[in-house]
Amino acid sequence: MRIPFTRNVRLAAVAAATALSLTGLSACGGSSGSGGDAKSLEMWTFKQSHVGALRDAAAEFKKQTGITVKVEAYTPDDAYTTKVQSAAKTGDLPDVLEVHSDGEDRTLGAAGILSDLSGDFKGDWAGRIQQSVQQSGLVTAQRFKDSQPTTAKDHGIKEGQRFSVPLTVGTFGIVYANKKMLAEAGINKAPADWEEFLAALKATKAKNGTTGGLALGLKVQSTGLNWVLQPLAFSQLGQSAYESLFGKDKNADFASPNGLKVLGMYNALTPYWMPGAQTLTIDQADQAFAQGKAAFDVGGTFTLAFLQQNGMKPDDVLAFGLPSPKDGAIPHRALGPLALTGLSLTATSEKPDNAKKWMEFLSQQKVAAQFAKAASDVPATELGADAATVLGPTLSALVDSFKGTPRTTYDPSRGNEFRAPGYEQDDAGAILADLTPLRQQSVEATAKKLRELNASYWAAAQ
Amino acid sequence: MTTAPRKTVPGAVGTGGDSHRTPAAAPGTGGTGKPRRPRSYEALTGYLFVGPAVILFCVMGLYTVGYGFALSFATWNGFTPNWTWVGLDNYADLLWRSPVYAPRVRHAALNTLWVMIASPALTVAVSFPLAVLLNRVRRLQSVLRSVYFLPYVTSGVAVFFAWQYILQPDGAINYLLDSVGLGSLSQPQGWLGNPSTAMPTMIAVTVWGHVPVAMLLYLTGLQGIDRSVLEAAELDGAGWWRTNASVIWPLVRPITAIVMLLNLRESLQGFQTFLVMTNGGPGDHTNVLGLEAYRLAFLKNLAPTLGLASALGWILFAAALVLALINLRALRSKT
Repeated sequence: MRIPFTRNVRLAAVAAATALSLTGLSACGGSSGSGGDAKSLEMWTFKQSHVGALRDAAAEFKKQTGITVKVEAYTPDDAYTTKVQSAAKTGDLPDVLEVHSDGEDRTLGAAGILSDLSGDFKGDWAGRIQQSVQQSGLVTAQRFKDSQPTTAKDHGIKEGQRFSVPLTVGTFGIVYANKKMLAEAGINKAPADWEEFLAALKATKAKNGTTGGLALGLKVQSTGLNWVLQPLAFSQLGQSAYESLFGKDKNADFASPNGLKVLGMYNALTPYWMPGAQTLTIDQADQAFAQGKAAFDVGGTFTLAFLQQNGMKPDDVLAFGLPSPKDGAIPHRALGPLALTGLSLTATSEKPDNAKKWMEFLSQQKVAAQFAKAASDVPATELGADAATVLGPTLSALVDSFKGTPRTTYDPSRGNEFRAPGYEQDDAGAILADLTPLRQQSVEATAKKLRELNASYWAAAQ
Repeated sequence: MTTAPRKTVPGAVGTGGDSHRTPAAAPGTGGTGKPRRPRSYEALTGYLFVGPAVILFCVMGLYTVGYGFALSFATWNGFTPNWTWVGLDNYADLLWRSPVYAPRVRHAALNTLWVMIASPALTVAVSFPLAVLLNRVRRLQSVLRSVYFLPYVTSGVAVFFAWQYILQPDGAINYLLDSVGLGSLSQPQGWLGNPSTAMPTMIAVTVWGHVPVAMLLYLTGLQGIDRSVLEAAELDGAGWWRTNASVIWPLVRPITAIVMLLNLRESLQGFQTFLVMTNGGPGDHTNVLGLEAYRLAFLKNLAPTLGLASALGWILFAAALVLALINLRALRSKT
């Protein structure tokens, strides 16, 4: 059947169809999502545990300045990264981003997504930040040098630029133990060394075979390497020999006697992983620990907040830095603090001055102290003499693990200085997973594969 | 749909023609005797209607494809203003040259090959008998068909998360095995935690997702078979097995070709299930080529590997094309 249309109707239909199509296309373009009036800001974070604390701070900020800050969280980290990248493409970025310090900030800065803050972060603002992390976010001479290969993620940055200011500090390699499970296994204090740690794992596992083990989100491939093997190897070998594990010299790399030794020590954990640890993300492993599915959990200082969110109280856990081997080169190793997250100003922000005011406001001692209490995280701001009171006993115990001399402190933020440029920790993590917990490879075969991986990156860098 | 030009029928509204006027009594005109539209006017209307779709296709289709192809010859992270042209380097690095990427691609290709062999074969092995049985059911056939189709309707990220929970060390499958006295078959590390069971499990989940459509295609094919052919087979003394093996199976060969083709393509390029459920793990034991391409494109934190990802995508496309041709040739209808 033919339905007669008048010319006007047809033209109207064509116009409507065209308009709809163009609407679809224009939707791809978009504009800044921060929008709103000049007195409002938008901020994104990837830390769910920071949202409440940031919103509390935003309420106080509004009282003082009249500026509204809308805080949104996007988790987990991968989803946040994708969200930021896609928003950057469509022009929908907020004004302020919380970013992973010393890596992500420079990468986003090199891509033109973030603004250079080097002219602003100085004076009182910089002075309030802990001395040890004041250079976080800054493109130092070394970082600039590392960015020179065209394959570098942050290729294009310039020395002296700054793409983030520190918000939180902390470290990896923090072990959390369920006090109740420890007590049931006859343990009432933190293990003093690696051997005692293994003995504690053995005792809790013997007490309960299914829930007595160690949780770690090994689905994220670099965690075993970053959070356990590296601090362990540093303690066992000392800084120089530890760094040589990643070098070109075959007499000192992972397949050398030193390498075999530390891989063997790491492999000693094999009987004690919680069932399925290799299939868990970081959050899932922490959740499993909070649910009583494991007696121990390896994470970072930031893990405490997540455990609290999942129903554990700080008093329920015993927290300590990953213990060092008794007979190692550095038996009392400290875990160096590093800036974990920073605040960045997006290049598309239409209210950069207000955004900087907000970022500076968060660094104030009183605001940072409130943030620490609300988020159960360690702020980058120097809290002064009252720090222990503000942080509480568990967080303070974690901060104590930072204390050491330069020689005895494992600095997780040291990166490309001793590794091949472009070295991907996930690749090494996948090899380690085959050693433990998967038991697919022997220590020797794992060492050989790590040597080959190192060599491939050194070769690719030439 | 035909693309043949329509002949103009004098008197039909809107068909144009040499005459500019329509006879007053012509059907469809309502007897108004309105003047005919000029051919150019009709053509313009048509172009305006298809215009938006063509523009969309050019922007979202041709432009994207062309852009992706060009990108495969460059190094870029998606944000820097300029691409660095590297010619065929990306292809060479992926296939043999790079000590970093080539081994990963080879490992992922081997895993993908397993999926490509097992997934189509198992899909056919499950869906064809299922369709034959369902075709014989006289009552509740539509209900059963819906039940078997459910996995396809519900497939999505949430379902894969559900599978993940089911397959955990304390998940439903281990619990079920323990409950029925088959505890020795349960996996203490979870079905996705044991490198020996992770890939077979992923293949099983993939097949679970593919069977509904394949079963429906077979069912459609079975219902289209002429009864007289089956009756002739019966008269010749063929039993149920022989009829299915020697008459029905060859007759549905084109459907098998389509099922195999769809599954091969999905096995070669699909990665969502792997991304959600294993992320290539445990270790690197379930990494597949599609996932590797996705990683290079989106999970490298702005490393300049978009060109490598694009090159890997084109390698996959070329492989899919070759396989499709081989598949269609091998399984073409001989009836």
